[in-house]
Amino acid sequence: MKYVSFFLVLAISISLAVIVSIPIGQIPPIAPLLDPNHGFWQNTLSEDQLARNEMHLANLNGPVEVVYDKNLIPHIFAGDELDLYRAQGYVTAQHRLWQMEFQTMAAAGRISEFVGPIALELDRMTRRKGLTYGAEMGLQYIQENDPETLRLIEAYADGVNQYIAELSDARLSVEYKILNYRPESWSAYKTLLLLKYMSDMLVGDRDLEYTNLRKILGEAGLNRLFPEFPSENDPIIEAEKVWDFTPVPISKPDSLNYPDETLLINPLNQPIEGTGSNNWAVAGKKTKNGNPILANDPHLSLNLPSLWYAMQLSTPTHSVKGATLPGALGVISGFNEHIAWGVTNATKDARDWYKITFQDDTRKAYKYGNEWRQSSYRIEEIKVKGQEVFLDTVIYTHHGPVVYDRTFGSERQDVNFALKWTVHMGSNEQKTFILLNKAKNFGDYNSALDYYTSPAQNFGFASVSGDIGMRIQGKFPLKWTEQGKFFMDGANPQMEWQGYIPNEHNPATLNPERGFVSSSNQHPVDPSYPYYVFDNSYEHYRNRRLNSRLREMEQITVEDMKTLQFDDFNLQAAEALPVMINLLGTHKVDDPAAEKYLQELRSWDYFADPNQKGQTLYSIWSSEVFESIWREFREIGVPVVLPNSYQTVELLTKSPNDSIFDIKSTEGIETAADHVKRGFDSLLVAMKKWELEEGDYSWANFKKTTIQHLVPNFNSFSVTNVYTGGGSGMLNATGSRHGASWRMIVELGPEIEAIGVYPGGQSGNPGSKFYANFIPIWANGEYLNFNLRTIENQEDILFKTSLK
Amino acid sequence: MRFIFLTLLTAIVVVFLNPIAPFWVVMIAIGALSALVYPNGIGGFLGGGLGMGLTWLGQSIYLGVTTGSSLPDRMGDLMGLGSGMTLVGITGLVGFILGAFSGWTGVLFRIMLRKTPQNVYKG
Repeated sequence: MKYVSFFLVLAISISLAVIVSIPIGQIPPIAPLLDPNHGFWQNTLSEDQLARNEMHLANLNGPVEVVYDKNLIPHIFAGDELDLYRAQGYVTAQHRLWQMEFQTMAAAGRISEFVGPIALELDRMTRRKGLTYGAEMGLQYIQENDPETLRLIEAYADGVNQYIAELSDARLSVEYKILNYRPESWSAYKTLLLLKYMSDMLVGDRDLEYTNLRKILGEAGLNRLFPEFPSENDPIIEAEKVWDFTPVPISKPDSLNYPDETLLINPLNQPIEGTGSNNWAVAGKKTKNGNPILANDPHLSLNLPSLWYAMQLSTPTHSVKGATLPGALGVISGFNEHIAWGVTNATKDARDWYKITFQDDTRKAYKYGNEWRQSSYRIEEIKVKGQEVFLDTVIYTHHGPVVYDRTFGSERQDVNFALKWTVHMGSNEQKTFILLNKAKNFGDYNSALDYYTSPAQNFGFASVSGDIGMRIQGKFPLKWTEQGKFFMDGANPQMEWQGYIPNEHNPATLNPERGFVSSSNQHPVDPSYPYYVFDNSYEHYRNRRLNSRLREMEQITVEDMKTLQFDDFNLQAAEALPVMINLLGTHKVDDPAAEKYLQELRSWDYFADPNQKGQTLYSIWSSEVFESIWREFREIGVPVVLPNSYQTVELLTKSPNDSIFDIKSTEGIETAADHVKRGFDSLLVAMKKWELEEGDYSWANFKKTTIQHLVPNFNSFSVTNVYTGGGSGMLNATGSRHGASWRMIVELGPEIEAIGVYPGGQSGNPGSKFYANFIPIWANGEYLNFNLRTIENQEDILFKTSLK
Repeated sequence: MRFIFLTLLTAIVVVFLNPIAPFWVVMIAIGALSALVYPNGIGGFLGGGLGMGLTWLGQSIYLGVTTGSSLPDRMGDLMGLGSGMTLVGITGLVGFILGAFSGWTGVLFRIMLRKTPQNVYKG
């Protein structure tokens, strides 16, 4: 009996121990998670509570000091660059390891490994568009051409890996504990993958949609609704700029035969609307103190842990501070003792699609000119949690990978398109940032930019010596007019890109007469620029607001720049609303609700402050009107893009009786006024529902700005309903899920004054008090001190760590 | 008396051993401890359970209070348990169950080893 009792209870004990150690369905192992000594309770500790005065970091050439200011911003003081980047890797991993890994897993198409088959299609898409291939090409390129940069990237990876090697269960990020996996080692390849991921996030193309539109509307209709330059173009490089170079000649084929089907395939994911940025620099002649001032606010998805991580990186020869990307070396948007720079996305059609004609079903050869060229196979091995490894064969042509084929994403069985993208070509973006970090003047800045390929950026610049500049840098293909706007025939050699625009011909300006440079993702140039420039998504409002403010401002201070970054004047509403109210006439004049809303709209000053109701009403009404105008486009049933809001407002204003407003499926002839009235009716319905369910419709309450954890269903790790103004098309472009992901202002006087903030916190740990502590500051349009620190400075220190 | 002794010793083991060892090592240690102290079955069960459960409970309350972290509430929300206090309770409960069965197993192990007295009435 005593044996039975013992073994029975022993069996129960062992079973219990096993049950609480294994995941059950989506529930992670309970005991390791709850154990107060190793589980999530350990993640309640903030970084200052875990601070150590000394830590061991192997392979250093000398000691490295890390000084954390009161906001947990590390200031790394190292003897040389190798030590600096090794320490950057180590320190970044301490605070952001899970995020670094998660982002590169996404970039590598490896999400299925830990979430299972639900992410398989996403992973296949990531692989098939060649992000991993591009990162491999990038690594190969750096190995062959730039061993010095490679050494630095490897030092960074070593720093990350030393942190991973010493990582205890207790210190593991809570996300690892919940998702039940452990970090794997970091590598130079992952750093490159991260930079490719940024390209993927910021680059789009609409070849498919334009191909369809061309078929539906014809050339003339397309050009009318989708003009390549808006009537009021206010480009990045001032329109007066004289291009003092002889352009490389481009020969346009005599006869063009575009593939002419209407296509039903799904377009690639595009950058989400609202993804964009502002940067500007004003010359000393326009500022109160006579110093140039530079400002930058990249708009991206608002996520936690934040995409950005603030740092100062110092060696005896340079000191740079600003926003870093966890996983990449150096500062991405920032300043040093001599210069400041900021980046915005330079949208320009950098992806093109070629229709491939295969010789036969084996797809081993494809037609090119008069010959059959050999294709190659790349086998993508995708591990899937709980299932067998998925093997995906991707066919590569000399144009690039065949993303859609009979096995993937295509409703038509016979379409094969190869994607040509600069991301697939070897490049060395990392070197640009390493050089920019220690640049001393405009010349250094320009040489740093020469290495930069993708995603193309507008690099704003200002220096202590008084220069301001802007350069649009990327690897831009030489294209004839309209090349790459539509799908092209991959069998026709005349459809090839004819080379690349030389770096020195990329649009750039230095110290323009107007006293400022600026970019807000608008057209880079005016039509006098001698190369073809096209993109579907150029901005038409933020740029005009920004430039008009910068033109009229004088005696500018840092305070003025803060106001400008936080400016939420809705230029689109200022232009469209009076027209809409006018077209509405006396519609619903007897409805008291309608009268109330109209009154609120009439008295609105067009500023989208968080307490404004007019902005809510305008945003619903205008989107309903635009929706009504272009509904027939949507109903065609193939992917198309709609005319942008700028074009729509212009049509509403200038030609309200145009035939474009007529709805073909109805009897009678509609005009703009009919759509405005229908939109207003929809507004009344939407508002009735909103007021019933939610009550308050002030702007902040309506748009519900959310800063979401990278795992979307970890809702409680997100910060929701942030009380802040702004929106798409405004300088403060903070919408519900997108907005200013980083704000920085630098005055380049004898003593550099810098401020910055981002919607998040330095810690990636949701349990830390430094996880989301910048959000209220950011939401109020306030900033943190970002002045450079010396190692001797003892003010506002949270703690210090020596790495030896 | 032995039950209280076991409770205290278990708490000490959890405090000092658990930070460097996973929970299952702590379970084995509690079992061994229980076999050594050798209370009765209920004493082993309650001593191991209360020792580990109360320590886990105390540790989680201590961490929650001293850090002022929002993580327990965030985790409670994520796991559909409402507030962080529920998680404190569950942590204590899991600790109790693991400790209790370890303690009981230890006592039964000792009982199993005990030689059955024979020929008590003989001679």
